[in-house]
Amino acid sequence: MTTPKHFEEKGRFQMDISMKMGAEKKPFKILKPPKKAIVFMQQHIGKCNLPTVNEGEKVITGQKIGDAEGKMTVPVHSPITGVVEGIRKVYHPVLNCPDTAVIIRQEGEEGLMPLPSFDLNDRNEIIELTREAGIVGMGGAAFPTHVKLACKGVDTFIVNAKESDPNLVCDVRLMIEKPREVVSGIKLMAKALGARRIVFATRTHKGELPELEKIMKEGGIEVKRVRPSYSVGSEKLLVEELLGREVPSGTFPPYIGVVVNNISTAYALYKAAHLKEPVISRGMSFYSDKNGIENVWFRTGTMVGEVLGSLGYDIRKFDRLIIGSLMMGWSIPSSETPLLKYSAGLTALSPEYPKPYEKQLPCIRCGYCDSVCPVDIYPSLIMKEDKEKDVKALRRLKVMDCIECGLCSYVCPSHIRLTKHLWGGKRKAKRP
Amino acid sequence: MTKDKLKKEEPPHIHIGFDKNELMLKTFLMMSIIALASIIVMGLDALIHIMIALGTVLIVHSTIYSYQVWKDIEPTYRSPASPMVAGMIVGLAMPIAAPFEVTAGVALLTILGFKYGQGKYFKRKYLNPAAASKVILLLVLSLKTLNEGLLFHTHHIDLDLMTATGLQSSMWIFSRETLPIIGFDLSPAQSLFLWQTHGWIGGASSIVVLIVGAIAAYWLRYKWRIIVSTLVTMTILAAGMGIYLNGDPILRIAFHVFTGSLIFLAFFMATEPQSTPMTNYGQYMFGFFLASLTFGLQLLNVLGGSIIALVILNVFTDQFDKIVIKKPYGHKGVKK
Ligand code: SF4
Ligand code: SF4
Repeated sequence: MTTPKHFEEKGRFQMDISMKMGAEKKPFKILKPPKKAIVFMQQHIGKCNLPTVNEGEKVITGQKIGDAEGKMTVPVHSPITGVVEGIRKVYHPVLNCPDTAVIIRQEGEEGLMPLPSFDLNDRNEIIELTREAGIVGMGGAAFPTHVKLACKGVDTFIVNAKESDPNLVCDVRLMIEKPREVVSGIKLMAKALGARRIVFATRTHKGELPELEKIMKEGGIEVKRVRPSYSVGSEKLLVEELLGREVPSGTFPPYIGVVVNNISTAYALYKAAHLKEPVISRGMSFYSDKNGIENVWFRTGTMVGEVLGSLGYDIRKFDRLIIGSLMMGWSIPSSETPLLKYSAGLTALSPEYPKPYEKQLPCIRCGYCDSVCPVDIYPSLIMKEDKEKDVKALRRLKVMDCIECGLCSYVCPSHIRLTKHLWGGKRKAKRP
Repeated sequence: MTKDKLKKEEPPHIHIGFDKNELMLKTFLMMSIIALASIIVMGLDALIHIMIALGTVLIVHSTIYSYQVWKDIEPTYRSPASPMVAGMIVGLAMPIAAPFEVTAGVALLTILGFKYGQGKYFKRKYLNPAAASKVILLLVLSLKTLNEGLLFHTHHIDLDLMTATGLQSSMWIFSRETLPIIGFDLSPAQSLFLWQTHGWIGGASSIVVLIVGAIAAYWLRYKWRIIVSTLVTMTILAAGMGIYLNGDPILRIAFHVFTGSLIFLAFFMATEPQSTPMTNYGQYMFGFFLASLTFGLQLLNVLGGSIIALVILNVFTDQFDKIVIKKPYGHKGVKK
């Protein structure tokens, strides 16, 4: 695959993506089920689950271990066969605070508790299956997929296979390894949505994935090649790029009749429908500054340290472990932090890897951050107003429209991490 | 235990790799090309002015830097790049006829008062350092002129820019230029565009400033909206005035746009990041008012009109940022 060396962003800024080059050729390394799995109850946007198992109880792989009532809820399943060792608060890498998790110790023969059967010709049953399988936006958004699939009046379904993060390639790898399965999942989603048009958004060039393209064509799926840009990978901007339609502020694509799903999500639905397997494993890209990218298939709930150990890395060689990509992931305080069902990437950086934001200089008002911002807001002014706690000004500057892409920090010649002011500004602007 | 060694950090974790010092060094490099052109056109005096300005700021910067390191204070400028840019701007913004000691004085005031001083006491540069220093010099000069019973500086006393003939006859100063080597005699308009030995050092060759300025603005992403709106506004005003007075619009444009002060100021001073607006509309408005005010002051024969206009507008920079902001994504009303 001819990965370009750079992504082109607004304001003529470039993002180096050379680390992606050739990485999609590396097959997924399938990791053994972990000895211990830590499964968070909160792995979706919405109401938190409650454990449906008790301490000391035996569980089988695929068994539901947490659920809640309500529309915005998605159950979680045991990724291994074993015994519930405990239900405790553990540091959650996305919520950035301790949260309830079921801790399972591997024991006994590995088996799978299959999902119940659903009628795949019935829209409502596909939606129900999606929920029961615990499927969320696997690209990192964690939005309950069944809620998206239940949207009415959808004319276009976009499959986001763009994979914009500079050090992630697992989606492209999935397209290479499982083309038929991915397309099968896409078709199920389209059926549930009743969408007339299916658009497959990819950054690959014509002829690079011949098998997938052939299957797409047979299935009436439109393949659209998206220009190489990091910001265009965001859901709302992708809709504008492909369809020229703007998602109004404060709404989501379904408001304008569009639903966007990631290809890993489509694959998860295929597995649920045809293998009766809920979300207990997934693919991700592991990037280390020492050895580049490897593609890994892991069980959810596996601790980061165990992933590194399985791949033969000495954890002491790294001083930053990041769940997610270099642009959007948070680094974690402990290698005992588990991976989630929406962890598409894991990044390990050695002490020698640059720490570009360690010495921040005063803002020189160069306006680079404003020029690169893909949603056309003014991060420099937002930073100023956040410091001055001027809520009215923050609202006038439309801080809530920030998509938290991090590009403003990425280009700042004073090495300022503006993201913290954007989060701060959002928090302030949200208050009544 | 590995967890104690791990660092907890928010995203992002990568950076484009371009920093403030690189921006300053590249700006300095671009201005050096202009300086070279000015030395070729204006001769040794131009070189001396530039070296005096650069030398002064570097001595002051090195002294302050050494003191800060000695006292274990975080140095205000770790690299000399930014002070060097300030020094170069002073050198290029001086009239060639200025006494050398005045250049040293302006450079001293720039680095000490308006670069280090403003940053320390106001946490930001509200006024363009070189422009503010020159305005102080002009104030002193004006007081001296007034004291001598004159309203205008002797250099400008004969200028009458309100009439077509007045402008024509004021152009004698640009009418004695000949392009060296090819020996081509230049008209005042051509001289203003190609080869001026009068006025600001940095504006000795407008065409060089235009080319180098445009490359620098593109390469280093200067606030180009200010440049465009300043030059366009000035061109329209000058052409309009030329037509209205039944004069020569080309000469008018050449005079108002290409006198050394405006052309150099538009590219390298009016785009100084800290003292200029951030928003797109703010930048357009800033350029519009900068050109209008400069034009008015030029017509009134005020010495240093462009620099005074710049300092006045610097004061209102934050207000410009509040006027209108562009519509972000989600508010543009693209069809549903
Ligand atoms: S890029 Fe950095 S230095 Fe430039 S205006 Fe934005 S925050 Fe300030
Ligand atoms: S993080 Fe927000 S403000 Fe910064 S560039 Fe992205 S969208 Fe714009």
